[in-house]
Amino acid sequence: MSKFKKGGKKPAPAINTSSLPDIVFMLLFFFMVATTTKDADPTVELTQPTGVRAEDMTPFKQRSEIDFLYLGVPRNKARAESFNMGYALFLDNVAQPSPGDLYNVNTVRRWKLDKFEAKPDRMEQPIKEVITCIKADEQAPTGIIFDIRKELQEIEALKLAYAVQDNGSY
Amino acid sequence: MARRDIPEINAGSMADIAFLLLIFFLVTTTMDRDKAYVRPIPKKVEIVIPPPDIQERDICAIIANSSNELMVRKKLVANPDDISDLILEFFRTNEKLTSEETAIGSMDPGFSGFEFPFYNRFGIDEINLRIAETTEEAEKIEEDEDADPVLIQYYWAKVKEWQKKKKALKLYGKSELPEISPQAHIRIEVQIKTGYVLFAKIQSEIEEALFELRDDAAQRIWGFGYGRIVTQLGNEPTDAEYLAKKGLLDLLYPARIIEVTPKK
Repeated sequence: MSKFKKGGKKPAPAINTSSLPDIVFMLLFFFMVATTTKDADPTVELTQPTGVRAEDMTPFKQRSEIDFLYLGVPRNKARAESFNMGYALFLDNVAQPSPGDLYNVNTVRRWKLDKFEAKPDRMEQPIKEVITCIKADEQAPTGIIFDIRKELQEIEALKLAYAVQDNGSY
Repeated sequence: MARRDIPEINAGSMADIAFLLLIFFLVTTTMDRDKAYVRPIPKKVEIVIPPPDIQERDICAIIANSSNELMVRKKLVANPDDISDLILEFFRTNEKLTSEETAIGSMDPGFSGFEFPFYNRFGIDEINLRIAETTEEAEKIEEDEDADPVLIQYYWAKVKEWQKKKKALKLYGKSELPEISPQAHIRIEVQIKTGYVLFAKIQSEIEEALFELRDDAAQRIWGFGYGRIVTQLGNEPTDAEYLAKKGLLDLLYPARIIEVTPKK
């Protein structure tokens, strides 16, 4: 006569998963708050240079007071030859220009004006205050940046930002 | 007939739905924040206000050529990390001089700080006098019917500048407000083929130097760092108290940066 029952395989009790959705929702909310949406998938490749004490652009992004412009080597290598010193611009498109225009400095002016037109009505900032942020590749020639700067000066979009990778902060 | 119990809803797939949403957000968002140096582009002007004579000592020229070699204030610099120290030297050399020392030093080519910008020191009496003077001048221009509106604006801007200085002096809490020579500026000259990495480095070094100068001043005056002011204004961009503090620091150490368009 034993005190312990032996044998008679009992099935393992089911784990209560009713709190699993809560956990996952919590994760979901964390990521929704801590991240920002990708603005575009640029067709140019670039490595940003590093810098310190750079200003955080997130508040401007939230108020859509900033437009991004990419300057890098085209992913499509066959096209790379035809561009200025092997570099090309990527403008996220509002009104899509012809493919050739997409990488051209002269398009910056129209792109910026189109972007400004497409901004939400509640935005009160004049175009002068809307930042144009250039994300350029480390090796990109600075001459192109000054060309862009000149284009922006013509339409009085007078705020320019040079993007860098910043690991430290205030 | 007896009321039937409402059947329990099966929530087993709730987790699947939440996971799906989670994965969607993981894919479409990025963690890294966009950081950048914001620089104003000068406005194109039609009427030309004759530029004042700029003395060599007031220019902190940072020149980079197409083979990425650097020259700061006419001296070759091998390591770009040294730029910030040279900018600090530019601002600090003559900062502590009294009005008398400034008057003597700026006339004497043998003076150790002769090649660096001098500071003007303004007391409250002088500032009040200047406000009265500039207001009178602006009103006179305004009465003239042929005057260009841009010119009128220019004169009123001058008045505003002095009023700003009055407020800054009050906040500074000392008898005199030191102000670097109004023509003192940092000038970036690059060539078409200068790499962006060097251009960004120059901007980074300038920002580092300005941060250090303003941080020191903030510590001296209020006992906390410049970082706190920046953070506070980041959270609340219209905070009047901190805006005034930033205004004073901007006046003490102005970020006057000129980017020279490279020649073709």
